Amino acid sequence: MNVTLKEIAVFVCLILAFAVLPFLAQDYAIGVGLAILMWLALTQSWAVLSSMTGYISLGQVVFYGIGSYVVVVTWQWIPLWLALIMAGAISALFALIVGLPVMRVRGPYFVILTFGLAELVKYSLMAIEAKMGISSRLLFGTPPIETIYWIVLVLAVASTLLLETVHRSPFGHGLRSLRENEEAAETLGVPVARYKLIAFILSAIIPGMVGGIMALRSSYFEATQAFDPMISITVIVMAILGGGDNARGPLFGVIFLVILSELLWTNAPQFYMIILGILLIVFVVKLPNGLLGWYRNYKHRAQGEGS
Amino acid sequence: MSFVDVFLSQQLLFATLVTGALYAIIALGLNLVYGTMRLLNVAHGELVMVGAYVGYWLFSVFGLSPLISTVVVAAFSAIVGVLLYKFLLRDMLVRVDRRERLEANSLLLFFGLSLLIQNIVAWVETATPRAYQYMDHVYRFGDLAMTGNRIIALLVALAICIGVTLFLRWSVFGLALRSVIEQPEAARIVGVNVEQVHIVSLTLGFASAGVAGVLLGMMEQFSPFIGFPLAIAAFIVVILGGLGNILGGFLAALLLGAIETYGVALTSPNLRSVLLYGVFVATLMFLPQGLFAKRVSR
Repeated sequence: MNVTLKEIAVFVCLILAFAVLPFLAQDYAIGVGLAILMWLALTQSWAVLSSMTGYISLGQVVFYGIGSYVVVVTWQWIPLWLALIMAGAISALFALIVGLPVMRVRGPYFVILTFGLAELVKYSLMAIEAKMGISSRLLFGTPPIETIYWIVLVLAVASTLLLETVHRSPFGHGLRSLRENEEAAETLGVPVARYKLIAFILSAIIPGMVGGIMALRSSYFEATQAFDPMISITVIVMAILGGGDNARGPLFGVIFLVILSELLWTNAPQFYMIILGILLIVFVVKLPNGLLGWYRNYKHRAQGEGS
Repeated sequence: MSFVDVFLSQQLLFATLVTGALYAIIALGLNLVYGTMRLLNVAHGELVMVGAYVGYWLFSVFGLSPLISTVVVAAFSAIVGVLLYKFLLRDMLVRVDRRERLEANSLLLFFGLSLLIQNIVAWVETATPRAYQYMDHVYRFGDLAMTGNRIIALLVALAICIGVTLFLRWSVFGLALRSVIEQPEAARIVGVNVEQVHIVSLTLGFASAGVAGVLLGMMEQFSPFIGFPLAIAAFIVVILGGLGNILGGFLAALLLGAIETYGVALTSPNLRSVLLYGVFVATLMFLPQGLFAKRVSR
């Protein structure tokens, strides 16, 4: 599973294309690009835990929300980069604390537990803020969209590299082996509990930082938005739609869904959700292995006919 | 209210029973569908919501009593379940190459369905919350005040819970269904008609969701967006009670109802969700297989 030169070239071209976008495009296109990069960063880091180990987390938003909150509270007192690092670090710390008990829970129990955990953190934060007399926070002097865009670009690239590195490393093999059969992996010497905990922490850092920087996009902060469960759901939909367990699957899913959403949103806003619903159903029925699976199949058949 | 008052309050006990029984039948359907087929039906709450609207239409247009509507809606939801199975689900369940991604794909499929249903209803019926008056006469027994519709809802929900439990416990079909829940492959080998079990649990599950919707609609106001929180509550009940464990689900539903009513009475409405999710998360962290785990079947 060595990296081919072609793959590196494609990757670099993609980064360059995204990097020059703010110089060439209007605000609208920058917004779309930002959306792609943000979802990409979130989905790739979700995949570090969930695609690798098969522990489908429905609580990815909890790290995003924690990161948002850290930055919103601190960024006016300390430099932005420090606030972002703190956002990532506190997300990771949270993952470390809850990781061991959470990762003992399996299958659908894990799915709903992670969802419940995210909701618990959201409602606790809201209760605490209400007690202090704060319902929403207004933010002043937020950085321009280009700055946010480039930071999110860096984070998206970082989470892609993280996923690919994990995917190719012995650690990644360990994670995939415990996805197939946890007991067998343990017997063969994979330190299952430790690996799961590390994967959980790794998947928390970048979402924390993404949440932190995205909190500055709008000029106010509300816990219901920063911890919106739809964020977790969208991440899963994008990853499953993309398919596969390496970085290419999420890339397919994210770009496809963001562009589709934009097209529907601008052309048929009143039927947006209805059409999206129908498309999701059609996709599951027609492309049960996700876009990546379909693409591989297509390439396979094309090669078969060529030779 | 002091602590003692709260615990002795018949009013709260009654509220707990009504909420708990409603959660129980919503979760029952989800449990059957997940337990037998491993389908993550995130659109389950939308079925309840549609049930509430159909009950409302039948009542306001034809003057049909919600009690009769429960039968109509049950039949209607069951048919929807069968159609869904024939056209969309069977392929996912039967084809070997698709089984590996069954849970992920069903999540995606039902998420699509829930977007579709929710937004069609919002489009046709607008997002304005609806409600209708039916049997809202207040009966008093000492300190306890109950509206007629809540008493009826409680009785119907209890009847369904008892009926389904007896059915699963004593009928041959119940035996087949429980075997599919516990050991799907072994059940197939000993000659259980797995496809038939799938269809019946889907119809039972959908029908009970529809009935729950009618019951909910005659007690409280509803909007096209009540489905998601209901589905989450149902998932919590199912997980706490143990997947495929119907009786455990009933107990968990009562527990959830009790947390909601007693918890809010003792603290404040602001803390309702904190309590609910707090108890849920804490329970799973200490008991990773739910409250009533006996054997694990995956």
